[in-house]
Amino acid sequence: MTMQILLNLLVAMIWMLLHDKWSMLTFVIGFILGAFIIFSMRRFFPTPFYGRKLWSLAKLVGLFSLELFVSSAVVSWQIIRPRLNIEPGIFKMKTRMRTEWELSMLANLMTLTPGSVVMEIAPDEGIMYVHAMDVPSMKKSILRTRDRFEDAIIEVMR
Amino acid sequence: MFQTLLMTSLIMLTISIAIALYRVVKGPSLPDRILALDSIGYNIIGIVAVLCIMLDSSSYLETILLIGILAFLSTVALCKFLERGVVIERKRND
Amino acid sequence: MIEIVVVVMVLAGTVLSLISSLGFLRLPDVYTRSHAATKSITLGILFILLSTFLYFMFVHNQVSVRLLLGIIFVFLTAPVTGHLIARSAYRFGVKPAGITDELAADLEREKRKTAESSQA
Repeated sequence: MTMQILLNLLVAMIWMLLHDKWSMLTFVIGFILGAFIIFSMRRFFPTPFYGRKLWSLAKLVGLFSLELFVSSAVVSWQIIRPRLNIEPGIFKMKTRMRTEWELSMLANLMTLTPGSVVMEIAPDEGIMYVHAMDVPSMKKSILRTRDRFEDAIIEVMR
Repeated sequence: MFQTLLMTSLIMLTISIAIALYRVVKGPSLPDRILALDSIGYNIIGIVAVLCIMLDSSSYLETILLIGILAFLSTVALCKFLERGVVIERKRND
Repeated sequence: MIEIVVVVMVLAGTVLSLISSLGFLRLPDVYTRSHAATKSITLGILFILLSTFLYFMFVHNQVSVRLLLGIIFVFLTAPVTGHLIARSAYRFGVKPAGITDELAADLEREKRKTAESSQA
């Protein structure tokens, strides 16, 4: 997969050299051309075409920015509400993530999503300790977000 | 009009820095102060970006990256100091 | 035309970061304040930087890679600082304001286990 991306970049560079125009537009056109060439020759590579991985990565980023907007709105609303009515707390959460990359990715994403800050990770047991802003109302939505993120991360990494 | 609105946003960012500074001075515990210093760093990044639009020049854009890196590193160093009591850990051979 | 978009985005980002500063005043303890610091400020700064990027792209016709790098950097480091501050505050001994706390017992057990293994 890394091989294919490097090859694609090489095609884009050669396209720019042939045109002798060093602009962003030429690079993008060359990159699209290279992706097309590699896609049409995908039978000769040992690994499948990297487009599917790229697509699932784009889906992860989209999901993440959506969640960031929602969480920011929730936190802001709780701050500017005239009477502060929250019950913060820390609770345990199991994860399916095993490798270090997946764990740190999930922790980063969870920290930026609705009302949760990851406080401590026990990687051997696969447990995360999460601080939530309002435990009774948010625990369910945090668990649901975790499931969606885990599915997306597994799709990207494995 | 354009300049006036940008000026308003500069003033609002300054107010938020002042509030964070109050938290630095008063903050009941040390982590409070670190958190407030971190948010001051982010607000300064915002001020530099707005200044770039106001002055219509892209010469200050390096500063954004620089302040971001400095704020992150100082926060990490202070947190390590809180947690362990030292900033740089030496490997002991025992 | 592009000026209007830029100004609206800058004002939105500014209001978000002002709200999170208000959160510093109102919220009860470090952990809830770190919610305000990691989420609202990240989104606010992201708005301001994106509007700067758009301004230089459409008015001056220059794509500033440094600015994109800064956006990615802020995006990556903001959750890390939030996590670090919450964790070190807990280890430092700041009591959380809420009732539910499932971390304390486990941390205590972990400490006892490491103490026993270091004695043996």
